Amino acid sequence: MSEFAYLFRGRLASPTPEQRQKQMEKWMAWFKELGANGHLKNPGHPLQAAGKVVNGNKKLVTDGPFAETKDVVGGFTLIEARDLEEAAEISKGCPILDVGGSVEVRPIEILNM
Amino acid sequence: MSEYVFLYRGGERGSSPEQYQKRMEKWMAWFKELGAKGHLKDRGLPLEREGKLVKGSKKMVTDGPFAEAKDVIGGYSLVEARDIDQAVELSKGCPIFEVDGGVEVRPVMKM
Repeated sequence: MSEFAYLFRGRLASPTPEQRQKQMEKWMAWFKELGANGHLKNPGHPLQAAGKVVNGNKKLVTDGPFAETKDVVGGFTLIEARDLEEAAEISKGCPILDVGGSVEVRPIEILNM
Repeated sequence: MSEYVFLYRGGERGSSPEQYQKRMEKWMAWFKELGAKGHLKDRGLPLEREGKLVKGSKKMVTDGPFAEAKDVIGGYSLVEARDIDQAVELSKGCPIFEVDGGVEVRPVMKM
């Protein structure tokens, strides 16, 4: 088994409390399923939409947002899968896809120290 | 104290074993410093540059890269800081700036 990070991108622009509640339930159900199948390594953290970016040699600080809404990273999760193909397949259960978002599936770099 | 995620973006990685070694040493030194000051909650993990993107209700799968090289997320860490301004100050010690990369500083959502 190898480790992969899911980067979740995009979110509902201004969800109602009901939509938020419903999404939350879907996420919890999905994590439960991932865990039951032995794929969940670390559920990770959801991120607030706000933030700051520090950039380049000059360390220039700017306020977010940092990308188009559809590209903003809203959180990440660590999973285990046989290979990249399986990791991508498993990500298809993610509730973010129901709201037009996306999952970036990235292999963890093995450190050679 | 609040929790913040650092998303590391862009930056030339260098391909020779010497560059790799040097880069690793700088990152380890930085993590050590953050840890010594009690700010490092989880050093996180570096990501390979390849990957796949699964998108939208049709769940279309495409190969990376996913963004311009300068915007590709190369890893993340979890830190603790008083507020976002302190988190930003802490991020300025990151070795990624020496190779012209960036750090996105994001408050963790409280559930």
